[in-house]
Amino acid sequence: MGVSNAVKYAYIVARVRAMKSKLIPREMYPKFLNMDIPEIIRFIEESEYKNDVDELSKKYKGTDLFEHSLSRNLALTYRKLIEVSQNEANFLITEYLRSWDIWNIKTILRGKFSGASEEEILEGVVSAGQLRYRDLTELVKIDTVEGVIAALSGTPYYPALEGYKGDLAEIENALDKWYYSKRIAAATETGNKLFLKFLRTEIDLKNLNILFRMKKAGMERDDIAKLLIPGGLELKEADLNRLASLPFPEFVRALEEYSYWSTIADISNDLTSLIQIETRLEKHALVYASQISHYYPLSILPILDYILSKKIEVDNLRIIVRGKETKLPEEIIKSHLVM
Amino acid sequence: MDPTQAGMVAVGAGIAVGLAGIGAGMGEQAIGAAAVGAMAEDEKFFGKGLLMTVIPESIAIFGLVVALILLFVF
Repeated sequence: MGVSNAVKYAYIVARVRAMKSKLIPREMYPKFLNMDIPEIIRFIEESEYKNDVDELSKKYKGTDLFEHSLSRNLALTYRKLIEVSQNEANFLITEYLRSWDIWNIKTILRGKFSGASEEEILEGVVSAGQLRYRDLTELVKIDTVEGVIAALSGTPYYPALEGYKGDLAEIENALDKWYYSKRIAAATETGNKLFLKFLRTEIDLKNLNILFRMKKAGMERDDIAKLLIPGGLELKEADLNRLASLPFPEFVRALEEYSYWSTIADISNDLTSLIQIETRLEKHALVYASQISHYYPLSILPILDYILSKKIEVDNLRIIVRGKETKLPEEIIKSHLVM
Repeated sequence: MDPTQAGMVAVGAGIAVGLAGIGAGMGEQAIGAAAVGAMAEDEKFFGKGLLMTVIPESIAIFGLVVALILLFVF
């Protein structure tokens, strides 16, 4: 890593590290489990989310206020990263955060498909990508899935959506594949090998998630293979095809050959809960991001680590409050948390 | 000391200060950028940031010391 690279990333990395130090510490989550919802909301009101809660308190109340404040804070934090970064970092952050555009498009399409209300759909929207909240609100007002797709015709996402023939899962998968292929192209364009490595590890973890889900659902090899995303780091196309064709017990044993095995090794005898597996894989991503961001401190990695950590913080808070609201047992809420 | 020798000593002193200054500047650019970044998020980093930024200045001082030795000892 040359001097110029160090200079390019010094400002944004120092800023992101300072932002990371303000995240809610891991030790707080077990304490939240012992608090009531109003107590958690009060804690949030006095934390980094204060401005968001103040801003939205006229419009929403209770857990809705909480949920919207988290989404707003997440979107503003990510937008801030784009605004305060320059050159390569700015390009890579912008490209990486397009995943939120994909998330929002999926949320809106799913909402329209299932006939959810505008308010319900907007609750799940996080305007952290290139599509602004105003654009998303306009999209939510459209009545049909086809209408939403037509409204997106001027965006880069349209090629993945235009093949819609009534099967939402198909275009959701096309969107995911489009996202990763474009991100790999962006990483290759800049020649940033670290970004590429991070992205390819993310693809591996996503593929593992898909494999576990589909194997549990008992789907056939060809159906699974259609869903898998090419471009992973360890799980190349041949590995994916082999894993997709194995029955569940052999599939789990075959994972021993890969580094991801350590994540699930201790629960490999009891892989009944998909939630447990998915939480472990998410934790793996978090630990991996944190570790490699220490190996390469002046690179894009500390920024990606922060992006991931912030998302997990918001997810954890949401899980705790929604879990408490629906009176789920503490153990179940805890099993969903990534700590 | 003949005038040529005196001139060479002066040039040497100039090079010592100049190169040390450039080196210190190169070191400071990343530290300064990082210090400003950290301060933008939290003003409490002002003291630490300032301290870190001036650390490469010691290289410039070494250059100055070498220049002074050249000028006054030779």
